[in-house]
Amino acid sequence: MSLKKYWRCWLTMGAMTFSSLMSTRLASLLFISGKIARIFLFILLLLALKTKITLLSGYTLDQLLIFYLIYTLFDLLGQIFFRGIYWYRSDLLSGNFDFTLTKPLSPLFQVLVNHTDWLDIPPLILTVIFLIYKLPSVSVSTLLGFIFLSFLAMILITAVHIFVAAIGVLTLEVDHTIWIFRDLSQMARFPVDIYTQGVQFFLTYIIPIAFIFTFPAKILLGLLSGRLILITVLVTVAFYWLVIKFWQYALKTYASASS
Amino acid sequence: MWQVRTVLSFLTIYFFWFAVFTQYNQIGTYTRTTMFAYLLVAAFLRNLVLWSDSYHACVEIANGDLNNYLLKPLSYFGNWLARDWADKILNLLFFVPELALLIIIFRIPLVFPTSLWVWAWFIVLAILGSLLYFLFSFLVSSFSFWYPEHDGWPLRFFMLMFLDFLSGAAFPLDIFPQPVTTLFKFLPTSYFIYFPTQVYLGRLSFSDQLSGLVIMLFWLLVFFYLVKIVWHKGLQIYGAYGR
Repeated sequence: MSLKKYWRCWLTMGAMTFSSLMSTRLASLLFISGKIARIFLFILLLLALKTKITLLSGYTLDQLLIFYLIYTLFDLLGQIFFRGIYWYRSDLLSGNFDFTLTKPLSPLFQVLVNHTDWLDIPPLILTVIFLIYKLPSVSVSTLLGFIFLSFLAMILITAVHIFVAAIGVLTLEVDHTIWIFRDLSQMARFPVDIYTQGVQFFLTYIIPIAFIFTFPAKILLGLLSGRLILITVLVTVAFYWLVIKFWQYALKTYASASS
Repeated sequence: MWQVRTVLSFLTIYFFWFAVFTQYNQIGTYTRTTMFAYLLVAAFLRNLVLWSDSYHACVEIANGDLNNYLLKPLSYFGNWLARDWADKILNLLFFVPELALLIIIFRIPLVFPTSLWVWAWFIVLAILGSLLYFLFSFLVSSFSFWYPEHDGWPLRFFMLMFLDFLSGAAFPLDIFPQPVTTLFKFLPTSYFIYFPTQVYLGRLSFSDQLSGLVIMLFWLLVFFYLVKIVWHKGLQIYGAYGR
């Protein structure tokens, strides 16, 4: 199937999700308000810390705010596009995943993007406005570097979701796995450099959280070396390749037990 | 897996404050030792007070399963209170050994209350805090009578976004400027975790403890009557949808 058809499928599924959200407007309003409140409350905490702390591991509180906003940006992007993973377990348990496999569409595409979370768009817009307001003037080369690392971050976020989907096929455990990733990624609300070396290593090379959240913020602040950009490229390619292999292996073991 | 998440949520907070205290000896009125003691006690209370199975009540109202209870000669409220405590105790049976292990691994300094009186006082406040949260949670669940969509989850989600912050689960509320801290003192959420933890650490004067207790009891009464009124009104419009 061509890319154009995948695009049309995504648009159709997105429109259906949007209609569903519009049918329960009060619920949507409460969800959006909660998400926005979460962002404001954390910024309030940072402002409170600003009166007590001048620098944290060499970062000013204004720089920490940029790290938090970049974390929020990618956290929201992951949820906007890949919310489908939260519904996927019930398909595995009920055997409905068989229908996913028999359709002339990539099962991964169906699992990951069958539910676009439009409710994350308002907080995303707010985050981008905050970012533009708080960022010092950025050169074109820095902006291009940020766009490139954002692209790699999105590939890594996709890879993490594929990994969770593969674990789901093997163990039927999905929700907790994705929540563990999200719990861990909360540590990237601050730059990973502030943590002890062991934690830094874990958040960089065991689970690529630093590559997704910290490095794009660092390049915006002009704090990322060329060597680390190269490592990011290599890690992204290697991680994505390994995860695809893992997904293919998981699919081979799928026994369609409950259908 | 759930327990992994419980441990992770503690570690996320701990590692942040550890990073702060490697550079600073004091944040506000908190030394490294008192901050870590705060985090430990707050983690314990989070797993006692905020650990509540009663949120399923909103699902039962939304999908009509409430019928099963209304027909039986038992109090729905009392039934959930008993199940809630059973669930809390079960959770603590897992969490306390995990927390002990983390204390040993990370050599987190321990602080104990200075007298048996403070221990007893802390236990009473933890129980009252749990009851307050139970009533608060039940009130949120009652929203399902009027809005059963998404199993009553939207209002609960909205409330949860504020809870970690306003209860003092991740940081002590008095790190904020004085006017904000004073405002927090009058909110019911401060009495879930922050207030009992401050009493445990002996950071409150007698008059502050007394005024805190009065505000806590005030909120308990308010929520008790609110739950009664809302429950009564809710049952009048209950349509047993899904049945």
